[in-house]
Amino acid sequence: MGLLAGMVRKDLLRHARSPLGPALVLAFPLIFAGLIALTFGGSSGTPKVRLLVENRDDGLASQLALAALRDARMTAYFDVEEVGVDLGLARIERDEASALLRIPNGFTDAILAREPVTLELVRNPSERILPEIAEQVMAVGVEVLDAGARVLGPGLDGLRGAIEGDGWPTPGTVAAIATAVQSSAQAASTLVFPPVIALEVVAAAGNEPEEQGSTFSIVFLTMLPGVAVWALFMVGDTGMRDILTEATAGTLRRQLAAPLGVREIVAGKALAMAALALISLTILAGIGAFAARRPVDAGAFLALSAALVLAVTGFSAVVYGLARTERQGSTLASIVLLVFAFLGGAFVPLDSLPASLRIVSRLTPIAWGTMGYQSLLEDGAGLSGVLPSVLVLAGFGASFLVVGMWLLGRKAARGVVA
Amino acid sequence: MIQAEGLSKRFGELKAVDRVSFDVRAGEIYGLLGPNGAGKTTILSMIAGLLAPDEGRVTIDGIDLARDPIAVKARLGVVPQEVALYDELSARENLRFWGGLYGLRGARLAKAVDDSLERVGLAPRANDRVRTYSGGMKRRLNLSLGLIHEPRALLLDEPTVGIDPQARAAILDLVRAIAAAGTAVLYTTHYLDEAETLCHRIGILDHGRRLAEGTLDELKQLHGEGELITVRGAFDAAAARGWVAGDATIEVVGAETGTLVLAAKDGAAARILAKLLDGDRPIDGVSIRPPSLNGLFLKLTGRELRD
Repeated sequence: MGLLAGMVRKDLLRHARSPLGPALVLAFPLIFAGLIALTFGGSSGTPKVRLLVENRDDGLASQLALAALRDARMTAYFDVEEVGVDLGLARIERDEASALLRIPNGFTDAILAREPVTLELVRNPSERILPEIAEQVMAVGVEVLDAGARVLGPGLDGLRGAIEGDGWPTPGTVAAIATAVQSSAQAASTLVFPPVIALEVVAAAGNEPEEQGSTFSIVFLTMLPGVAVWALFMVGDTGMRDILTEATAGTLRRQLAAPLGVREIVAGKALAMAALALISLTILAGIGAFAARRPVDAGAFLALSAALVLAVTGFSAVVYGLARTERQGSTLASIVLLVFAFLGGAFVPLDSLPASLRIVSRLTPIAWGTMGYQSLLEDGAGLSGVLPSVLVLAGFGASFLVVGMWLLGRKAARGVVA
Repeated sequence: MIQAEGLSKRFGELKAVDRVSFDVRAGEIYGLLGPNGAGKTTILSMIAGLLAPDEGRVTIDGIDLARDPIAVKARLGVVPQEVALYDELSARENLRFWGGLYGLRGARLAKAVDDSLERVGLAPRANDRVRTYSGGMKRRLNLSLGLIHEPRALLLDEPTVGIDPQARAAILDLVRAIAAAGTAVLYTTHYLDEAETLCHRIGILDHGRRLAEGTLDELKQLHGEGELITVRGAFDAAAARGWVAGDATIEVVGAETGTLVLAAKDGAAARILAKLLDGDRPIDGVSIRPPSLNGLFLKLTGRELRD
């Protein structure tokens, strides 16, 4: 035990004093997930629809419509900017807005006269979702305006006369308009009040509504587990490659001349690599837990991490058991891990993969590691939640390790690496 | 202490070592002398348990390497030709690690580390990282790693290659001290002066075969070593052999187109030289050298050691 501890200590000291390689591999998932989050997440929550309005009418109805768009409830979703006539399209072409609403000249008159009128909405072709939202909201607004104009018909007639007449309307005219509006409202009230159908939004059973983090942290946490698991395999590659580095430097040959077996030397290297992987994993998980702003189940984390480290160690042992040189091993590991990463959801979320690939992805340890850490970090899963990942990773690890140790031991015994 | 019996090793078509036997006694420095590719490192690798011999056996302190490799390795110290150190670690950390591999622990390990550092003069720089050391310091540390567990037998594979004369002298002094303390030292080199001044006995190797063995005096006496005459010119081997045919005081050591090497006995060199130069022979130059290990090697192999 003291012998293996000495070998692990020696390798960890060496890595600590030449930390660039492991540090770069560790930094990669943070940088990658961070960049993806910055690109697709931003930091200001739900994105707003940037709506330009060209108002050629300047009448009462258009002013009311603009006021409605600037209502506090609407400003959560819309940034409305009134622009000069014929200036909106150029702004759309410069990609400065999601949509342009054109209110035509005579809009108010047409509403008051209950004559047909058309509002024009120009969508920004370079955007897909935000112009769609603008279109849907405008469609609902037009329905409301149309219904209102029909219900308030007589009242609108009086209002039109008052607006078009000279000077201030007399108290009698105002009273007549108010009476007409009240009559219209009363007539419609049986149809409109109280609402027959209401909409209430509730959370699905078993899932309590949670405080949502920023979009940045949501995207970051979605990406981090997959990239981190992949990076851990890369750390394993760096650690196990060291056995060939030592062969080149002559220190492996020297160890083989010492009174210990080949198995002990290989086991010492594998343990050192596992320790390095565990340290890396703890750092990444700590950052993930900080971003998630919730505690992580320690038992689940330890079980999942132990299984993953076993898989990483076994995989690296197989690669460097097969490779004859450092370059060969590094190339082989890079190719296999890149394929595993794409299939395993390290770079593309597993849910985004086609159904056929999702089946194949279950054959990669990266997929199981990614699913496990996503459950841990995003869903706050406990041991039972990550148990499938733990079992599969441990199975992968044990199988790989048996084969890898046999290959490495055979290679060292034959003097191939000595 | 170290016994090699009939060691052979083949790499494909190449027979790297061919039935080599020797023994090294406690307190003795045995030199394996030969040019690069003679099989010195292969022999050391077989004795260190790094390569399995195709034939033959190795025993250390009476223990058969094939039967109990761990016990044999525990008694052996190995100093490889290349500087095999961890550059990121200090000398002390390197020594602690290698001492640990040989089973040293706790206070015994700490004392062994301190003693080793003192012995090779690295105590003042013990905690500096090895990458900051000079080539000579690294060589000394390389040597001390093979000694930390006080082995009964020490294998040194050309430990002075590529270092300055001062560091080389320090290492040779250290090797003498180690042998004087009772350790059997097997020392490979292709430096003639090292073999002459350091080794108690010498085995001369070429193309995987042991050509001769003994003390320096024994080797010279055994092979009737005299002055060596090297003749160069525009002649072929058969014609050159004919020039000295029938002369009992001279032996043809080597003859090839343009070069004839002769060994002269009992001060016959001057007479032979006069005979060769008397006449219209196509000779461009002649050199005579006194008896030496290099001369012996030339006589045994027909070529210079540096070739």
